[in-house]
Amino acid sequence: MDFTFALALSLPIAIGLAAIGSGFGLGRAVGQAMEAMGRQPEAAGKIQTAMIIGAAFIEALTIYALVAFFLLFGKIG
Amino acid sequence: MILDKLLIPMLTATEQAAHTVADTLGTAAGHAAEQAGSHAEESHELPNIIHMLDKVVGGVFGDLYRWENIAFAFLAGIFMCVVAMMVYRRREMVPGSFQNVVELIVETLYNFFYGILGENTRRYTPFLGTLFIYILIMNWMGIVPFLKAPTSAAVIPISLAIVVFFYSQAVGFRRLGVLGWLHHLAGEPEDIVGWVLVPLMIPIHVIGEIAKPVSLGLRLFGNITGEDILVAAFTMIGVMALSIFGKGTPVGIPFQIPFYLLGLLMSAIQALVFAALATIYIALMLPHEHEGESH
Repeated sequence: MDFTFALALSLPIAIGLAAIGSGFGLGRAVGQAMEAMGRQPEAAGKIQTAMIIGAAFIEALTIYALVAFFLLFGKIG
Repeated sequence: MILDKLLIPMLTATEQAAHTVADTLGTAAGHAAEQAGSHAEESHELPNIIHMLDKVVGGVFGDLYRWENIAFAFLAGIFMCVVAMMVYRRREMVPGSFQNVVELIVETLYNFFYGILGENTRRYTPFLGTLFIYILIMNWMGIVPFLKAPTSAAVIPISLAIVVFFYSQAVGFRRLGVLGWLHHLAGEPEDIVGWVLVPLMIPIHVIGEIAKPVSLGLRLFGNITGEDILVAAFTMIGVMALSIFGKGTPVGIPFQIPFYLLGLLMSAIQALVFAALATIYIALMLPHEHEGESH
């Protein structure tokens, strides 16, 4: 197995694994935020802002995998 | 006559664009390997006006093409300046519809930052609000046909993140003083245990401060690039779907429209997140007046 083959095989898997991780994280974060909003509808605006910022933090982990994908994409012959 | 002169280059440009899409995307893998580093990055996205002018006219536009991200970033800046000047020159006590919209935007941003910064908001809103609107315009430029989102190249988001880094450090210097800033960097030790841990805390905080702009820049870059490549990939699928009727059709089925809508949302969220994180970094540097409130 040469390295281009290995890269072509592993880069999509890397993104998939990162997406699984942030999927779990996002599900938990958004679920909890929804629960909090249901409990305190008057604080919905604040919770939503905090949720979006937190979601962006979680999502960034997948984006890092995507950045690594872009960086190594050119090396796949 | 004039219309002819205008139309023919436009048509060729459109055709060229379709071909460029087919070229750059269809054989992206092969091309990327051939083209050296700097060009490999641009070739995944839809062609923009400068790219097309470079292909058709060449000459000056070839030089401009190498600076396309800077050119589009300038365009966004000029647009903002023009809007701001138009509103400022003709402001009235009873605002018209245009002034109302701008005032609404400013007020909404002020209220958003007020939730994080409290009474310091008025001082930092000009910087943070400009940052938000500038990034939002640059992100949305990726959705406008023939324009390119400058934030989809690593240069622009990283430089914006560096600006935020130096600004927040400068805020720390001004509001805390040099000693206060060092105290903050040492993890704000108060008892003996805190002072013992200082040699451990300083490297951690220095690494943390450096990691902030890196993650801030890479997040914006990755999101916008991913979104633009998604749009380009689905445009390519649309062109390919029509290519059964002949090679190199100038138009395709617009499969990319739903992803434009997704891009509209994601661009706004990313701009909001960038501005919100910049606000939080500044808020962390301010002296803590409310004890017991976690930041």
